[in-house]
Amino acid sequence: MSNSLAITLKSSVVKKQLIGITGLLLCGFLVTHLLGNFLLFVGPEAFNKYGHALTSNPLIYLAEAGLLALFLGHMGLALKATLENKAARPQRYYMKTKTGRGSTIASSTMPYTGAILLAFIVFHLQGIKFGAVYNVTYDGVVMRDLYKLTFEKFASLPYAAFYVVSMIAMAIHVSHGFWSAFQSVGFWHNRYTDSIRKAAIGYAVFVGLGFSILPIYCFLTGAN
Amino acid sequence: MSEKKLDSKIPEGPIQEKWDNHKFSTKLINPANKRKYKILVVGTGLAGSSAAATLSELGYKVEAFCIQDSPRRAHSIAAQGGINAAKNYTNDGDSIWRLFYDTVKGGDYRAREANVYRLAQVSANIIDQCAAQGVPFARDYGGYLANRSFGGAQVSRTFYARGQTGQQLLLGAYSSLQKEVSKGKIKVHTRCELVDVVTVDGRARGIITRDIVSGEFQKHAADAVLLCTGGYGNVYYLSTNAMASNASAAWRAYKKGAYFANPCFTQIHPTCIPVHGDHQSKLTLMSESLRNDGRVWVPKNKDDTRKPQDIPEDERDYYLERIYPSFGNLVPRDVASRNAKAQVDLGKGVGETGVAVYLDFKDAIERDGKDAIEARYGNLFEMYQRITDDDPYVVPMRIYPAVHYTMGGLWVDYNLMTTVPGLFALGEANFSDHGANRLGASALMQGLADGYFVIPYTIGGFFAENTPDGLDENHPAFEEALNESKSIFEKLLSVNGTTPVDHFHRELGKIMWEYVGMGRDQEGLKKAIEEIPQLRKKFWSDVKIPGEGNQINVELEKAARVADFLELGELMARDALDRNESCGGHFREESQTPENEALRNDEDYCHVSAWEFKGVDNSPEKHKEELNFEYVKLSQRSYK
Amino acid sequence: MSNNNMNLNLKIWRQPKKSAPGKMVDYKVSDISPDMSFLEMLDVLNIQLVEKGEDPVVFDHDCREGICGMCSLMINGQAHGPEDRTTTCQLHMRKFRDGDTIVVEPWRAKAFPVLKDLMVDRTAFDEIISAGGFISVNTGNAPDANAIPISKENADLSMDAAACIGCGACVASCKNASAMLFVSAKVSQFSLLPQGKVESSERAVNMVNKMDELGFGNCTNEAECEASCPKGISISNIARMNREYTVGSITGK
Repeated sequence: MSNSLAITLKSSVVKKQLIGITGLLLCGFLVTHLLGNFLLFVGPEAFNKYGHALTSNPLIYLAEAGLLALFLGHMGLALKATLENKAARPQRYYMKTKTGRGSTIASSTMPYTGAILLAFIVFHLQGIKFGAVYNVTYDGVVMRDLYKLTFEKFASLPYAAFYVVSMIAMAIHVSHGFWSAFQSVGFWHNRYTDSIRKAAIGYAVFVGLGFSILPIYCFLTGAN
Repeated sequence: MSEKKLDSKIPEGPIQEKWDNHKFSTKLINPANKRKYKILVVGTGLAGSSAAATLSELGYKVEAFCIQDSPRRAHSIAAQGGINAAKNYTNDGDSIWRLFYDTVKGGDYRAREANVYRLAQVSANIIDQCAAQGVPFARDYGGYLANRSFGGAQVSRTFYARGQTGQQLLLGAYSSLQKEVSKGKIKVHTRCELVDVVTVDGRARGIITRDIVSGEFQKHAADAVLLCTGGYGNVYYLSTNAMASNASAAWRAYKKGAYFANPCFTQIHPTCIPVHGDHQSKLTLMSESLRNDGRVWVPKNKDDTRKPQDIPEDERDYYLERIYPSFGNLVPRDVASRNAKAQVDLGKGVGETGVAVYLDFKDAIERDGKDAIEARYGNLFEMYQRITDDDPYVVPMRIYPAVHYTMGGLWVDYNLMTTVPGLFALGEANFSDHGANRLGASALMQGLADGYFVIPYTIGGFFAENTPDGLDENHPAFEEALNESKSIFEKLLSVNGTTPVDHFHRELGKIMWEYVGMGRDQEGLKKAIEEIPQLRKKFWSDVKIPGEGNQINVELEKAARVADFLELGELMARDALDRNESCGGHFREESQTPENEALRNDEDYCHVSAWEFKGVDNSPEKHKEELNFEYVKLSQRSYK
Repeated sequence: MSNNNMNLNLKIWRQPKKSAPGKMVDYKVSDISPDMSFLEMLDVLNIQLVEKGEDPVVFDHDCREGICGMCSLMINGQAHGPEDRTTTCQLHMRKFRDGDTIVVEPWRAKAFPVLKDLMVDRTAFDEIISAGGFISVNTGNAPDANAIPISKENADLSMDAAACIGCGACVASCKNASAMLFVSAKVSQFSLLPQGKVESSERAVNMVNKMDELGFGNCTNEAECEASCPKGISISNIARMNREYTVGSITGK
């Protein structure tokens, strides 16, 4: 790798662009994940068959590897940026007040909401993907009964509550991240930038609510 | 007084051909040899930055010095209105000749014709150069440059970048400077102040500087020294100059043999925000363009304490409109300023202090609507409100004149060289092309003309006859000058008195404003010449400067500058006393027409007074440069 | 003087020199007129200190009319104090109340080391400009200024960006001490003009790389810089610079 390429890849601009682009791709993943989740409302069979179709496709390993790379890239670069940012101001202010005209709760808490999401993902994978295996058979095919597992998990109030809290954190995180990615790649237009900001809020509300409904629904209906 | 003649080195020939002839006859330096010459540029305003960048582009070795943390902060940055150029883009009859004529007349016939003509000639190149550097001048919808009229001119020749023209031009020159820095061809010394000029066999060979952060004194040798250090308006303490603007570089040069020309020529700008209290540190200018729509008035009755809104129309005196029916509120700066003072002296001043007049936009708002006025002056109204907390859309502005620019400065010949060979002065630091009064939007033009288009040619002529001789900082003259400089600072620190520097500066300002301000008379000037040395003596026995010299010591820096102002102020008073005529910004009460207008005396004073230093406590010696007006006929200005 | 005058408590950062540690020190000033500027209030404090033979508080300032960019100061945790679009020198004491405690600190960033008290070293900004913040034109090369028409819209946008005074409030207010707003203002000013377009991407790359090298932080698009900027420079300039950088780093040598 030539020296100038190394500088370019390490530059603050490219770093932010990569964080933005990986973030946007992860946003795309969230939508597909959420749409899949909504099959839960259709019924156990639809939900389990969908899960089985996904996991039995050999391409899933490629997709999972890609997803993992996106996560690791996004987190790694964000961690690096955060550490550099701390180093850029070695001596803290005695008093620092926000202007109230710039940063938002979302923008100023990105590293924290990001950390919550990381914890959540570990917990989520461990509990569901690598969680208890129940089997069910449809049309002679044995597959995981993820429907049962989901209801079982969300029967616990703390478990469901943790999910909801994490999903609120996620909504906050993407409400800034979504539009910020456009800014980082250099998209700014008087006509569209305002719409992107609004779209970011809309998107955040959609995924935030969408992912929160599931644990709430499961908790309420499963407990009965 | 000596009648010794100063050689201004004005080239031969008709005025239109002088500059071209001179450029052709001036010897050139081979490009390969240019790098053997070193030039020190002191000050990085318009003149300094443009000169440093251009000379470096030509191949000379350049070092630049500024007292701020960056060259970009020089006070040229604060110029608001614009820059004149004889482009005639507006097709309204402008020409080099007209700009030349207006400038000589506006300067009340106390400028050198040949210099002014050259200034008008290169003015158009300045705009081209700045546009190429990326200065975002105002443009019209077709994409071409916009112009506006300014300062009494009858043509629209002023180019502008919103109300921040000085800032944009300076940033353009600064970016050129940084371009050369990036090539390693200029070294910039920031937070570094000139404390002495070093001469060897009568020729300037370098400077001594003090690093403001470390307090260290340094020697710099060179083949030529350019002083681009601005004017000396801060001698009045309160002025529109920046806090650090000072006369020290020019003054130390004066003490090393450079003559100081027309020191009494100061410009007092009529539309400034008035002084509000004892702790005020500086005055803020409001663009002169406000007088296009604002009407100036005072109450007819003395000591009228009513609110301006409560004073009925027939009890107001729109004195400029009354006295000057044809020019009205648009009389030149010096006339407007003097009349404001006259009203205040009559006891008709307004505001809490009684030292202000009203500038009222009520009629303009009724005529054109608030929106139109806001579009024209919105940023100025905002600035006024921020400072005074009054809303000028509702309450008339209070304004009063303030010291703004100094036309006087180091005497230079046509090549911009002072009477010390190898020492040049550019921009406001020289006695300049503005005579006794500068027209609006001409200061930026002169600074950049000197730096971009004059000095790069004329310095070659000097170098052709003064080839590099290997002299460096090891020459004993440098050690001597350094020790002398050190001893001045040590002396200041050793006084250990009881009174802070600012007190002396403020006292000096009061004397200057009272006796060497807008109206001057023999009695007052004599008083000033008596009081300033007394104050100086008190300063040297009672000034208090805490701390040491080997670190950042703001009080010490200020003290060194005030010490120089305390000498310069006296010279200004002497020059004002000597010039027993009124011209431009210099108004002698003894010399006025029956209608109280400035009365020139061309018989006895059609000359530049250049003063030679003869010791701090001795009278300086006056030398005359006679001014010949071959192309613009001498006449009395009238604005009735 | 009016009887609206105030007595104030000040908490000011004092640091004798670059290498020495500093601390917050309490001072009192009295009889402060609401018409004074913030810096004139500090002048009053300094006269008090000098009369007592103490070292006055060092702070940068020069034009005192909001254009030179020399003044700085974090006032009660905000760059240039609480008033929108106002430099410290144009901030007036009428924004404060009798008895207030005002905290005054220097800009803090690794790239802006404190020289003394409230004075910081901003030469990093000059270094960034000399990395590419210019148009490579020598004196004398220029064609007639009207030879290249520039749309009014672009000229105005360029001027919006060019209004930057280089004070460093963007860095000071940014939680990451990033200089993106400053750099992008210069990149934008030139990239919007045909004269500057020629070397626009190369300029963005060189200036950003220099900024990174000097230890400024990364931009996280929070816009505190825009909110604190006394000249209201928009973060749309940062987007424009990001674009120029991308083009430059892909197409550059």
